[in-house]
Amino acid sequence: MTPLLQPILGGVVPEWLVIVLSHLAVTALVLLGAAVMMMLAVWAERRIIARMQDRLGPNRVGPAGLLQSIADGVKMFVKEDIVPRAADRWIHILAPIVALAPVAMMLAVIPWGRGLVAVDLDVGVLYVAAVSSISGVGLLMAGWGSSNRFALLGAMRAVAQLVSYEIPMIIAILGMVLLSGGMSLARMPELQGGLPIVGTTLAGVPDLGLGWFVFTPVGLLGFAIFFICVLAEGERTPFDIPEADSEIIAGYMTEYSGMKFAVFYLAQYILNLALAMVTAVLFLGGWQGPGIAWLAANGLDIPAAVLSLIYMLLKVWLLFFVMVLLRGAFPRLRVDQLLSFAWKFLLPLALVNVGSIAIWIALTNWSAAQWGGVLNLDMLAAWQRQLLAVAVTAVINIAAYRWVLAINQPQQPETPDELIGAAQAS
Amino acid sequence: MTHEPKQPNTYTVDRGRGRERGGQGLAAGLGVVMRHFRDAFTRRLDNPAKTSGVFTVQYPEERTPLPEASRSMPILLYEDTSGHELCTSCYQCQRICPPQVIHITQAKDPATGKPVPAVAEFLLEYDACMSCGLCAEVCPFDAIKMDHDFELSTDKRDPMTVNRADLLRPVSYYAGLAPGHWADVKDGALKKLQGAVRRRSGSIGIAPYRAAQLAVVDAPPAEAAAEVAEPAGMDDKAARLAAIRARNAAKQSAEAAAEVAEPAGMDDKAARLAAIRARNAAKRQADEDGGA
Repeated sequence: MTPLLQPILGGVVPEWLVIVLSHLAVTALVLLGAAVMMMLAVWAERRIIARMQDRLGPNRVGPAGLLQSIADGVKMFVKEDIVPRAADRWIHILAPIVALAPVAMMLAVIPWGRGLVAVDLDVGVLYVAAVSSISGVGLLMAGWGSSNRFALLGAMRAVAQLVSYEIPMIIAILGMVLLSGGMSLARMPELQGGLPIVGTTLAGVPDLGLGWFVFTPVGLLGFAIFFICVLAEGERTPFDIPEADSEIIAGYMTEYSGMKFAVFYLAQYILNLALAMVTAVLFLGGWQGPGIAWLAANGLDIPAAVLSLIYMLLKVWLLFFVMVLLRGAFPRLRVDQLLSFAWKFLLPLALVNVGSIAIWIALTNWSAAQWGGVLNLDMLAAWQRQLLAVAVTAVINIAAYRWVLAINQPQQPETPDELIGAAQAS
Repeated sequence: MTHEPKQPNTYTVDRGRGRERGGQGLAAGLGVVMRHFRDAFTRRLDNPAKTSGVFTVQYPEERTPLPEASRSMPILLYEDTSGHELCTSCYQCQRICPPQVIHITQAKDPATGKPVPAVAEFLLEYDACMSCGLCAEVCPFDAIKMDHDFELSTDKRDPMTVNRADLLRPVSYYAGLAPGHWADVKDGALKKLQGAVRRRSGSIGIAPYRAAQLAVVDAPPAEAAAEVAEPAGMDDKAARLAAIRARNAAKQSAEAAAEVAEPAGMDDKAARLAAIRARNAAKRQADEDGGA
């Protein structure tokens, strides 16, 4: 933004003010974009889930009900702000802010498009993982400060869930960090150009921007693990235990009303969208897509940026649609199912995936000297080594998946065998 | 000897698939939801045999057709061409009405003072009516029927007490609402109406709205009808006086009541009411006297 503002304001205001103003402008833009996305997300979720339930959803306020979120926001504004008498007043008031702030901070490092990133941190991935878990503190504050049993129960569940799912999530990210050789979130999409599976290793083929990590076996498994963890982090429906409305009213949000509730709501949807963005950047190529490399090569930077922004938003909304679809389809897990799924299913798979990514890197990058004479792949072309790595890691990952399924098989089958036998015989 | 519990019959439900493992069941669930999502854009769930499609009826714009037997509030019927009301003041509805919201005043021949099978006034308190439909069930003349218009909500109380003029609807209106039900009772109802009409005279028993129309068409009797319907310049005082006199007379003697019950301002409603009350009082007096 600074180069844009410099010619306009350069002569009028001092240099430092231009820098400050440009940073403020970028912040405002990102936060505004997030707020608009949040309102759209609430509307989209209500409309989509309604169609899945054979209903129409809100369609009265504005065209197709698009202004429903604004109407709800106005309602939230004029509601009474209630702090329970027994509540720990300051913790109760601060909790929504503590929940929202880190979520908003996550947006800073996410590349919205080619060259559209607010801050290009070298450790962007680490930053996202670190900051996203701070909001758990806000949830615990809300539960504790409300002095309400349901709220405290919800907060405990939320923290247990976030802590459990952070581990496979970070291990899945770790694999991608290994694969890309860096922690910068902004660099991730640049590495995912080329063609599916072979990526950029095939020379003489136009860069279609489709070499997404999700098309490789390691990326696919990582994507599945990461996305499931995203659902748990964002408290989306199969994992919405912390706010299970049929069990504990609204969990940690039980005692919140008016704008403070709205802030929690905002935090939750922005978190969902931000995590969908991180998923898209890490696994679905971020802003990569057909045509961007061509536009950039021809010096059309602004059309490339716009097209890349469109690709990014398409992927984010696709992921959000999947989240809504899962909400429409699946019932809530029990707490024990939730935890055993994280520790007994996702964690082993994530660890195996890190191993197969290590093998992938060895197969694609190591020279004969690095192998120490065990294996010499130097005579193979880059794409041949890539295909070899795909085949080997696919075998490892499928075997690992079947093994984890086998060890998680319930001791007692849900349906007695004789009934199944009878059913198949008849 | 050990007791062997008898096994209950085992029923096997074959859902056409075996055990699903490794996420196949989850995928099948997603498929079901996606089918509903797709169908919600392409079709309506207008038939219970369908399992998907939008079932929402967007009420003010879209309405589901009401069944013939649907009932909101009672209405009175009159015959379209002659304007004769089907009601004969038999008081069946007033008697059966659980919340007691029906109030009937029977019409009287102004010349003879004899009751006529028609209503002078028919008051119905819509605000207390519970739409049970017993009045329509019990009516032997099919004169009172249940309307289908349910959008009656208002913030005013007074219009919810509805009089005869506002209760009346032509038979064709009801035939449009419930053609099947009307076809079932049509012949009997109109035949009974013939019988009632034979005992009516003048504009008695003719819907006021229809009576005014008839009066315009037929000029000379219009004046007479107007006089009968509205005693011009008749002031309330005379009627009230008559009522007081009637009550006093009733107290004095049971026999005298019958004579007093025909004062000069007979046409006036208040006077008529007073006369009815006087007669009732006299009768009660007579009964008490007889008992004593």
